[in-house]
Amino acid sequence: MSALNSPLEAVEARYLDVDPVYAETRDIRLLGFVMALGADCVLFSSFIFAYLYLRTASPAWPPFVGGHQLPRLDTAFAALNSMVLFGSGVTMHYALENWKHLKKQAFNGWLAATIVLGILFLLGQGHEYLSAQMTWQGSSFGASFFTLTGMHGFHVLVGVCYLIVLMIQSNRGVYTGSKYFGLTAGTLYWHFVDVIWVFLFFLFYLW
Amino acid sequence: MSAEIVERVLAFIAAFVVGGTAIFQLKNELPARGLDASVTKVLLGLMIVGCVFAVLASVRVLGG
Repeated sequence: MSALNSPLEAVEARYLDVDPVYAETRDIRLLGFVMALGADCVLFSSFIFAYLYLRTASPAWPPFVGGHQLPRLDTAFAALNSMVLFGSGVTMHYALENWKHLKKQAFNGWLAATIVLGILFLLGQGHEYLSAQMTWQGSSFGASFFTLTGMHGFHVLVGVCYLIVLMIQSNRGVYTGSKYFGLTAGTLYWHFVDVIWVFLFFLFYLW
Repeated sequence: MSAEIVERVLAFIAAFVVGGTAIFQLKNELPARGLDASVTKVLLGLMIVGCVFAVLASVRVLGG
């Protein structure tokens, strides 16, 4: 696939290889994928509501452990790390847009940036875990924090692996200008992971 | 300058850059139709909310 200059050229080229079977099944596959994301939403919601219950039932938050109140989490670092993740959402969106306009080189660059930012976020989360002054077993705060952010971190890790696979596949010609459902799904998944973090960031660091 | 201040300044700048870009992307996405476009619009909108949170956190309005 070569870089095309005018948007019209790109759109024309995109429809040169339309596959009727793909066109027919794409919407159903997309609906299935969105439903899978919805199921993931339910999973996170269950844990978030458990956290809300624990938090509202506690007389003080962060709770007292051994006569001392646990310190609040590091908001400044979390804000910066959040921006790394949200930034990766923006780069992923640009990656998909460049693919749609058949700019493969730009697509590769934006996708690589997304992968790097995803890994940076995971490293930041690892730093947060190492510097946290609480444990999983020690308090309801620690249990909910490590469970929810750990589950989210696992989703980010899966997302990074998914994006690496997408990069390999796209460079091997699996996707074309008209057939790129995997890339659409990857972008939606990555945005979803970003949005889950919006809620976790607010609940654990800002509230 | 302490590490915390550096983190807050970087987060503040990044939140404006990323939030502004996300608003631009959302604006471009608005005319698009279909399930994927609709979901993308909702997710981009929520990501912009996340950027607002980051701005408020970096200036200590939220999170202390």
